[in-house]
Amino acid sequence: MAITTHSLFLLAGALYGLALLTALAPDRRGRGPWAGMFLASGLAVNLAVVAWRYHQAWPMLPMHLGAVALPFCLGLLVPFAAGKAETYMALTVRRILLAQIVLLVGAALCFPKDFYLPFLKSRTLLAHGFLWFGLAGKGCFAVSAAWALAALPLFRHAIDNRQAAVAAMHRCQRWAALGFALWTLSMFAGELWSYLGWGTPVVWEDPALTLTMAAWFFYAGLLHLHLTRLWSLKSRVLYASLGGLVLLSLTCVPDFGPFRAPF
Amino acid sequence: MHRILLLFWRFLGSINLTIGLCLLLTADLVWGYFSLNRRTPLFTPLNDMGLIPWMQTYGSHNLAATGWFFLLLILLALLAGNTFVCTTNRIVQLLAAGDGGKGAAHRKRLALKLAPHIMHYGLIVILAGYLASYLCTQVLTGRTLVPGVPLSLPGTSGQVTLLAFEPEYYRGERLAFWRNEVIAAQARLLLDDGITQQEALLSCTRPVRFQGYSLHLRDFAPKSLRGMKMKTRVDLYVRKDPGVGLYLAGIALFTLGLALYIYEWITHREATTE
Repeated sequence: MAITTHSLFLLAGALYGLALLTALAPDRRGRGPWAGMFLASGLAVNLAVVAWRYHQAWPMLPMHLGAVALPFCLGLLVPFAAGKAETYMALTVRRILLAQIVLLVGAALCFPKDFYLPFLKSRTLLAHGFLWFGLAGKGCFAVSAAWALAALPLFRHAIDNRQAAVAAMHRCQRWAALGFALWTLSMFAGELWSYLGWGTPVVWEDPALTLTMAAWFFYAGLLHLHLTRLWSLKSRVLYASLGGLVLLSLTCVPDFGPFRAPF
Repeated sequence: MHRILLLFWRFLGSINLTIGLCLLLTADLVWGYFSLNRRTPLFTPLNDMGLIPWMQTYGSHNLAATGWFFLLLILLALLAGNTFVCTTNRIVQLLAAGDGGKGAAHRKRLALKLAPHIMHYGLIVILAGYLASYLCTQVLTGRTLVPGVPLSLPGTSGQVTLLAFEPEYYRGERLAFWRNEVIAAQARLLLDDGITQQEALLSCTRPVRFQGYSLHLRDFAPKSLRGMKMKTRVDLYVRKDPGVGLYLAGIALFTLGLALYIYEWITHREATTE
């Protein structure tokens, strides 16, 4: 089989899958160092795919790179998302993030959109800033949603676990705030790029801009939730977890194309 | 009357209204994605026509596809009002509470506390800039420059002439699809305001500002060393947009607020947590 970006991405997906399977092992001895090693190998192969796609387009922006670069960004965040702690919550967050990565890679392999050629107007640092700030922001939003998802089961035993849920929601808010800052920078870079290239702040040729704005308003709402008493802790966790996942999935839609069998 | 106004002011500044509006805006924009997808030709004239003529034509005659946009305008107007009232109330409270403090440390603390409000005002300025841009922009459509023929800018004594089109063709091997195609388009323009003349460079992401207008590269020819020989021409977007300064100022204001907020987060909050 010839080495292509597709075959390399398949390999990255397999390595991420192994990292997830290892992370799902019930005891620490079962997990060993393997999850980290598979994740690091997956990241290295994924980086090669991103670098290759860039090599094929630089100095222009590779089109719809998000589908292959987002798993890489998320993979980079895994070690920072939950720290080195081996607590139940930290493990759950890591597992959720690895599951998200595997799902994203699977979707990108089944619905590739790598057939568009780059265009001249993307030959500016603002275009690259728009892409990478956006991807980093999306990664942080995914971590935020993972913390909220990990906190959901705690509400089955309402009183005992309240402190743990509060701590998880605190982490969720911090990641959401960081993601919001990066997402905002991405939008500003996009607006400046749009002004320089087309003379307007909004280019209506790209419907994805509406989803970018939707995510911005969704997380602006999340960052204001703690200021009101109308939203209980549980409803805030639901907002950040399920709402976050739905919205993140939607923001990924424009980077996916028609179905193609991955093998 | 005063009481009603006070109630209205309180309602408009409510944080619950903020959250409700954020959720409605999210839902509306998701609806917008599905409406806009494959119907972008309905919206692209918005940049050339301006908001009001677009609403009277494309907008009102295709409500099934454009309804979300009208709702977006209403929600954004409400959000701007809500943000202004809410943040003004908080700033008044902050300033009143901090009356007693003096010195550089107090001023720094106050500046950091004001960070979210600077962002809020930044958002309002950005929205105002967009509105001004879509309401008042003068757009000259279909303007093309060919070498030696000057283009007059309406309402001014300014003339723009294409001195030379200087494309850079791709000669490498790495970008197979780009071989012998233009990889960087650059036009050298002569700007004549009736008294003085100066040269300027125009490229794909480098507009030229002259006599209140901004000139942006729309298209050009020739594009390739291969195929049919095309005559040299440079198509332009020519715009006189009073909203640009406003929304760029809003972006700068928001970024300043964001930087202060992150600085406070890193220095103060992290120290408190430890």
